[in-house]
Amino acid sequence: MADQAPSSTNGFVISEHTLANGLRVVLSEDHLTPVAAVCLWYDVGSRHEVKGRTGLAHLFEHLMFQGSASVPGNGHFELVQGAGGSLNGTTSFERTNYFETMPAHQVELALWLEADRMGSLLSALDLAGLDNQRAVVKNERRQRYDNVPYGTAFERLVAMAFPEGHPYHHTPIGSMADLDAATLADAQDFFRTYYAPNNAVLSVVGDIDPEQTLAWIEKYFGSIPSHDGKRPPRDGSTIDRDGSAPMRQHLVAEVPSRALMAAYPLPLDGTRESDAADLALTILGSGESSRLYNRLVRHDRSAVGAGFGLLRLSGAPSLGWLDAKTSGDATIEAVEAAVDEELARFAAEGPTDAELERAQAQIEREWLDRLDTVHGRADELCRYAVLFGDPKLLNPALAKVLDVTAEEVRAVAARYLTPDNRAVLTYEPLAPTDADADETEGSNA
Amino acid sequence: MTIAPTMTFHPRPEPGEATPWAFPAPTRSTLPNGLTVLRCDRPGQKLVAVELLLDAPLSAEPAGLDGVATILARAFNEGTETLSAEEFAGELERAGANLDAHADHTTLQLSLEVPASRLERGLTLLADAVRSPALPADEIERLVANRLDEIVHEQANPSRRAAFALYAELFEASDRMSRPRAGTADSVKDIDREAVAAFYAAHVRPATATLVIVGDFSAVDFDAVLGDTLGAWTGTPAPASVAAPVTADDTSRVVIVDRPGSVQTQVLIGRVGPDRHDPSWAAQILGIYCLGGTLTSRLDRVLREEKGYTYGVRAFAQPLRSAPDGRGRAMLAISGSVDTDSTAPALADAWQILRTLAAEGLTDEERDIAVQNLVGVAPLRYETASAVCSTLADQVDQGLPDDYQAQVYRRLAETTTAEATAAAVAAFPPERLVTVLVGDAASITGPLKELGIGEVTVIGA
Repeated sequence: MADQAPSSTNGFVISEHTLANGLRVVLSEDHLTPVAAVCLWYDVGSRHEVKGRTGLAHLFEHLMFQGSASVPGNGHFELVQGAGGSLNGTTSFERTNYFETMPAHQVELALWLEADRMGSLLSALDLAGLDNQRAVVKNERRQRYDNVPYGTAFERLVAMAFPEGHPYHHTPIGSMADLDAATLADAQDFFRTYYAPNNAVLSVVGDIDPEQTLAWIEKYFGSIPSHDGKRPPRDGSTIDRDGSAPMRQHLVAEVPSRALMAAYPLPLDGTRESDAADLALTILGSGESSRLYNRLVRHDRSAVGAGFGLLRLSGAPSLGWLDAKTSGDATIEAVEAAVDEELARFAAEGPTDAELERAQAQIEREWLDRLDTVHGRADELCRYAVLFGDPKLLNPALAKVLDVTAEEVRAVAARYLTPDNRAVLTYEPLAPTDADADETEGSNA
Repeated sequence: MTIAPTMTFHPRPEPGEATPWAFPAPTRSTLPNGLTVLRCDRPGQKLVAVELLLDAPLSAEPAGLDGVATILARAFNEGTETLSAEEFAGELERAGANLDAHADHTTLQLSLEVPASRLERGLTLLADAVRSPALPADEIERLVANRLDEIVHEQANPSRRAAFALYAELFEASDRMSRPRAGTADSVKDIDREAVAAFYAAHVRPATATLVIVGDFSAVDFDAVLGDTLGAWTGTPAPASVAAPVTADDTSRVVIVDRPGSVQTQVLIGRVGPDRHDPSWAAQILGIYCLGGTLTSRLDRVLREEKGYTYGVRAFAQPLRSAPDGRGRAMLAISGSVDTDSTAPALADAWQILRTLAAEGLTDEERDIAVQNLVGVAPLRYETASAVCSTLADQVDQGLPDDYQAQVYRRLAETTTAEATAAAVAAFPPERLVTVLVGDAASITGPLKELGIGEVTVIGA
C-alpha cells in the first residue's frame, strides 16, 4: 500500500495579545465551518485549595453559572443555548476552564457573558445559590464516585501517590465534609483571590475576524481591574516521602470483581521525558495490540481488561494509571506478577520498531481527534498558554512526540515504571458471587 | 453584602448575520456486489469516519443464543484469513485507525475512524474483517468468557441495571427487545465458534449492507480505493430483513431494584412512543427538550436548580426498532439519579411538573428558545466527520430518507407551541409511565407507596 505520510503537522495560525489589565488573548482563525469557540482558563485548580476547603474550586465553578451583574439566574445557560451555542466549565488539579461553542455570528455574546462574570460575579452571588449548588455538587460526587463500583479508586490512589501536605493530595471533587463547611465568605474570597484578568487566558478559535474579535475583547474585558491577590500554590513538582505513609491499600468492597490499580509518578507534563512516558504507556497498555492486553487478556486470560492511562500534570509528577479487572477466579497476585514481569521486560528490551510506529500513529490520531473541533483547539491553546507560557507550543507538539527514540522510551520505563515507584490499590469483592467462593485460590499465571 | 462592580458595562450584543448552513447531503450509489454506499465529502476533515451497517438484527439471533450478534461484532476485530488477532490489532493501530463494532436491535454496525492519509489501509482492514474474518475458536471462547465477566460489572452499575429492568418490564418476554442486547449469562455461555460462524454466514453479505463514509477525499482516488477494498467483498443476494412492530405495556407501575446501601437512587421512567417516521417527531423533540433537554428545562429547573436533588435529569427519545411502515417506536424516558432521601420528593416534583405541563402547556418563550437551540446548534453538532457519519448511519438504520435530518431542521422551525405541548404531553402522560428505581429499597419503598404513581414491586439485586 502506498499510503502517504500524514500531514497533520500543518501549523495553525495563532496570534497573541495582552490587554492592559493583563488578560492574555489567543486567537486562531479557521473558516471551515461557521462556528467559533471561546475558551477561558483561570489559573486556579484544586492544587490552590487549603486544608478544610477541598472542593472549593469546583464548587466555585458551579457558582459561575448562577448569574452575574447583567445576567439573571441561569442566564448564562439560557442565553448561550438560545443562541444555538453550547457551554460548560470544568475544574482540574491545575486550572478551571469555561467554554462556549457558538455559531460564528454569536461569538460576541459569549465574550460579553464571560466578561460580565469575570468582572461582576460577586454582585449576584448569594447564600441561596451557594446552598443549592452545594447540594448539586454533593449529588455529582455521589453519582460519579460514591455510588459506583471502584468509584473512589481515583481519590484513594491520588492520595497515596501524593502524600499528605502535597498540593495534589486531594482531588478536585473534594470531601463531603469540606463541601458542607464552605461559606459564602469562602466563595467571595476565592473569587477575589483568583478570578482576575491577569490570572486568565482567553482563546477564540474558528470562523472569526481576528481584528473585530480583539476589539470586542478590549471593549468587554478591558475595564475589568486586575489585582495581585493571588496566592501561588505550594510547589508540587517533587514528592517528599518520609516512608510512614502506606503505598498500598487493599479494599474488601461491594465490587463485581477483583481489581489491581496503580498510579506511577512520572515526569512532569511538557518535558521530552513526558512524551517518552506517553509512548511507553501506549505501547504497554493502550489498545488491543498492547503488551498488557496481549499478556493478561489474550494469553493469561486473567483479566477482563487491562491498560494504562496517563493523567498529565504540569505542576506535579504526571501519573501513569494502571487498571486491571480480573477475569473469573484469577488472583490479584497472578495479575500483579504478570504486570511486573511485562514492565521489567520492557525496561530491559525497550519497544520494537513496530510497536513504536503503532504508538506514534495512535497518539497522532488522538491528537487529530482533539484538534478536530474549534473547542478542542481553543482548549489546547489555553493549556499551552497557562501551563507552559506559550500557546504556539501547540504547533510543534505532535512532532516532538514523533521525534522520541526507542531508547528514550525504554529509559523512561526503566526509571519510572517500577514496583517501588507506585501507589497500589487492590479490590476484593465483599460477598461471594457463586459457589466457587470456598475453593482454594490458585494462581493461573 | 454588596460588592460594587468596578467594570464598565455594555448592553448585551446583538447577533451578527448568520452564515447559512445546511445538513450535508450524501450521494448514494451501489457497488456491483450490491453494497449500498453513502458518501459525504467534508473538505478539510483530517479524520475520515466510516460506518458499515450489516443487516444482522438482534431479532435474527437463534433462540437461546442472545448475544451471538455481539460476539460476532467483537470477533470482527479478532483477525482475518491472513492476519492473526494480534496482528490485526497491530495493523489497525499502525494505520492510526480505530475499529469498533456493536450489535443492536436494527443492525450490526462497524465504526472505523482513520486519518484521511491512511484511508486505503483502514478500508482494507475493514473489508478484510467483514469478508474473511478468521473467527478463531480460541478467541471466540475468550470473547465469551470476557462477556460473562462483563455481565457481572453491568449488574453492579446502577444505570445499566435500571435500563435492563425497564426493558424487561416494558416488552413481552418473547420480544428480543425485552432482553439485554449483548445477552445474559445464561444465553452467552452456550455461544461457540460454530454459532458465531453460522450467524455470520446467514446474515453478513454486501447486498444487504450499507457503507456510510464521511471526510476529505481530495487526496485519494475514492472509487478505486473503494472498489479494491469493500468492492471485492462477495456474497449471495438476500432480501432485507423486516423489523417487527414494537408494542409495550406502559401500565403505570414502580419497580424497585434493591441495591442495599446505595447513597443515590437511579431513576429511569419510560414508555414507548412515536419514532422518526411519525409526523410528530419534530414536535416531540421540541417538547421533550423543553421538559428535560438541558439544565434550564422544566425538570432540572426544579429538581437541580431549585431543590438540589440531583446533578441532572434528562428526558429523551431514542428510536428502538424503526421502519418506514410506521410500526416502529422510540423509547421515551426520563433518567437521572437523586440522593436516597430525596427519591420520593423528587418523583413527586417530577409528576407535578408533568401534570402542570399537561394542564398549562409550554410557553411561547420556551418554545422559541428550544427551537433556537435545536436548530442553531446544528453547525456545532456536525463539526466533525464522525458526527455527520453517525447521523447518516442512524437514518439508514431506521429506513429514513437521506435528507431526513435536513428536513427535521425545517420542521422544527415551523413547529408551534401548541404542537410541541401536545407531543410532550402525549409522550409522558403521568398515568402511563413505568418507573424503575435502582436504590436502597429499605429506605425508599415506604415513601414511594404513598406517592400514587403506580403499584410498587421490589425485586432483588
